[in-house]
Amino acid sequence: MANRIRKLSQIVFLLLFLGLFLHARFPYESGWPSDIFLRTSPLAALTTALSARTWIASMLPAVILLLLTIPLGRFFCGWICPLGTVIDGSDRYLRRRKPAGRESVRFRSWKFFILVAVLCAALFSWQAAWFFDPLVMLTRVLTVSLYPAMALLTQGLFQFGFASGVAEEQWYSLYAWAQNRLLPVQSASFEQSMPVLLLFIAVLALGLVSRRFWCRNLCPLGALLGLFSRFRVFGRDVNQECTSCSLCQRRCRMNAIEDDYTITNATECIQCAECATVCKPQAISYRFSRRKNQGHIDLSRRRFIQAAATGIVGLAATRVGAGNRNETGRLIRPPGALPEEAFLDRCIRCQACVRICSSTGACLQPALTQGGWEGIWSPRAVMRTGYCEYNCTLCGEICPTGAISKLDLDAKQQRKMGTAYFDKSRCIPWYRLEDCLVCEEHCPLPEKAIRFDEREVRTPEGEMRTVKFPYVREDLCIGCGICENKCPVVGQAAIFVTPAGEERQPVGVFAGA
Amino acid sequence: MDRREFCKTLTAGLVLPAAAWTAAPASKLVVVRNASPAELVRKAVQALGGMSQFVKKGQTVLLKPNIGWDRSPEQAANTNPEAVAEVVKMCLEAGASYVRVLDRTCNQAQRCYSRSGIEKAAAAAGAQVRHIIDSRFKEVQLPQGVLLKSWPLYRDVLEADVFINMPVAKHHSISQYTLGFKNIMGVMGGDRGSIHNKFMTKIVDINSAVKPTLTIIDAYRVMLRNGPTGGSLADVAEKKTVIAGVDRVAVDAYGMTLFGVKPEQVEYLRLAFERGLGQLDLSRVSIEEINS
Repeated sequence: MANRIRKLSQIVFLLLFLGLFLHARFPYESGWPSDIFLRTSPLAALTTALSARTWIASMLPAVILLLLTIPLGRFFCGWICPLGTVIDGSDRYLRRRKPAGRESVRFRSWKFFILVAVLCAALFSWQAAWFFDPLVMLTRVLTVSLYPAMALLTQGLFQFGFASGVAEEQWYSLYAWAQNRLLPVQSASFEQSMPVLLLFIAVLALGLVSRRFWCRNLCPLGALLGLFSRFRVFGRDVNQECTSCSLCQRRCRMNAIEDDYTITNATECIQCAECATVCKPQAISYRFSRRKNQGHIDLSRRRFIQAAATGIVGLAATRVGAGNRNETGRLIRPPGALPEEAFLDRCIRCQACVRICSSTGACLQPALTQGGWEGIWSPRAVMRTGYCEYNCTLCGEICPTGAISKLDLDAKQQRKMGTAYFDKSRCIPWYRLEDCLVCEEHCPLPEKAIRFDEREVRTPEGEMRTVKFPYVREDLCIGCGICENKCPVVGQAAIFVTPAGEERQPVGVFAGA
Repeated sequence: MDRREFCKTLTAGLVLPAAAWTAAPASKLVVVRNASPAELVRKAVQALGGMSQFVKKGQTVLLKPNIGWDRSPEQAANTNPEAVAEVVKMCLEAGASYVRVLDRTCNQAQRCYSRSGIEKAAAAAGAQVRHIIDSRFKEVQLPQGVLLKSWPLYRDVLEADVFINMPVAKHHSISQYTLGFKNIMGVMGGDRGSIHNKFMTKIVDINSAVKPTLTIIDAYRVMLRNGPTGGSLADVAEKKTVIAGVDRVAVDAYGMTLFGVKPEQVEYLRLAFERGLGQLDLSRVSIEEINS
């Protein structure tokens, strides 16, 4: 019974997660917070608070989860975590054979190792939870890989429908509906889709080794919740009917049942209640009471020090390298981003901003090394794939950690992300002496940051001609990049935005959630 | 006046009267002033003989307003939503089987459709408001094209029985002011930016393949400067005017006069006239002016 309710809960929360993900798109007005799962992660909350050296108010749900974990144990992992649910699903697919005896427990200390390393790095102001946090990982792979793939397939289906010539009007109406709710506005495509997807596939593929391999052995969020579960008062209880058949131990997806089958490892148990279901004499129940818990954490002092050292060395390793100014000089952050260091302290690379941006201007992309290795997968505006919509403030609204502050529309419309420059050797009026002005046409500033001089010139053929020569008013340009995006020159645009003159949101003016 | 302009004016002065002499019988134009946007378009169409002159029972209608920008109706970057809704109603009253409203936008489509107010108003009036689907552009040959020999155009426009072009009158740095001809860019696929270069010839090339049944210029609010996006209300003037007619060159020519521009000085209109797309000489057009 409890097992069934748990499965239902997993499905409901996974659907909620997916629903909120799809909901993170323009106009995003309903009040449903699409970033709520991310704000529920105590790991992200703790690391960002440590690295930013400040308590981040929007992460309050994470504290609530941590407090609930003290009496209830790792129920989050078993009942709510959408990545856990996905792993349960893929485990069923990957592992047809049930283990004959107890599986090895030798990897399970790794998650504590990772947790210590991540927290130590955060203490020295390097925020690395983003690589390991399950909620971040799932949001990221959905945004960058799975959603675009879904969109491509859906569009393919519609193309098939249109081409079939059958019920064309119905296909058309259905497509109009899908365009507003399901499909991206332009085609969503991301430079980093493959690496992100491969990392995710690797996590699922670990299921070949054992069930919930990720959750048992690697997930630092699970480790953190495990630490808080040691004194839980709700959990597995075994009565005298137990025949010591060992079935519960073999079926436990977390390998949390000790060789004395009445003892449960509270840091490992995720309260999934499968053992209660499989127990033939029905000796197992889940209820409140003081029971035989075992809370040993397999991390020696030596390993603890090793972990801390790993975190700090890892931190140092990412800080060196990648100093190419041609690359870093194209790193344009979203409007409302904090100063670079503070920004990286908080950014958990969840891609929530990238996701919502892809429904409006579509300029944000996960960076590779433009911000150094330290800034990998942080959001970066690429104006040739999209541009920053003048009337849009959604990235700041959805950022769970305040790395991007929420700006009023007025403030956003004056916030300088960078400055546009002409490449006159490619710009049609400048090198070909013919009118164009697509950039000027699209410039959204009411007083136009792109203007033009109308001058008579002599062409190489000797013809006199009046041409409108565009130029940028540096003082007015906010670097939104629509000029670069719409520039009709093939390949590299003849007008491009650099972060020159960018304004960042002062730290401390951050408004929270 | 420089030499180039002098030559142009001289040529125009000599060629135009001759061309006008040989042109088709006088076309009719209606200009209505001083009423609400809905009343303006209704009176204009009535003066042209009513919508049943253009839309027969059971015909399909494609109505193409300007929905290009993420701007509110007050900012006058898009066609007035009340005027659009009224045209939808008139078409349905005339027995249209459906009226479809669409535009290929410059900003994100959902933003433009919603902030312009057109999506809501047109849908409430009974129209099918549709977003552009990329796969519905069809490569069309432009036999009369001088620079452009073919271009992808939107299928719904090509297939509709009746095509109503409904621009808003705005400033635009390349075409001077954007009216009916420029509005046709909203049914173009492909890389539209590239037609801004040698724009005057190319826009006529495109228009030679897409003939509106009726052109209605919304000049209820007009954008005087910093077009076509605008944004500042200081650049918007209330003219409370609508111009309608079948002759698209004449309609645009009259539209230019709203901004104090002589139609003969607008290159695309001259080219369109020379190619026989309509009458440029307003003295040869019967103009009915209605002041309510």
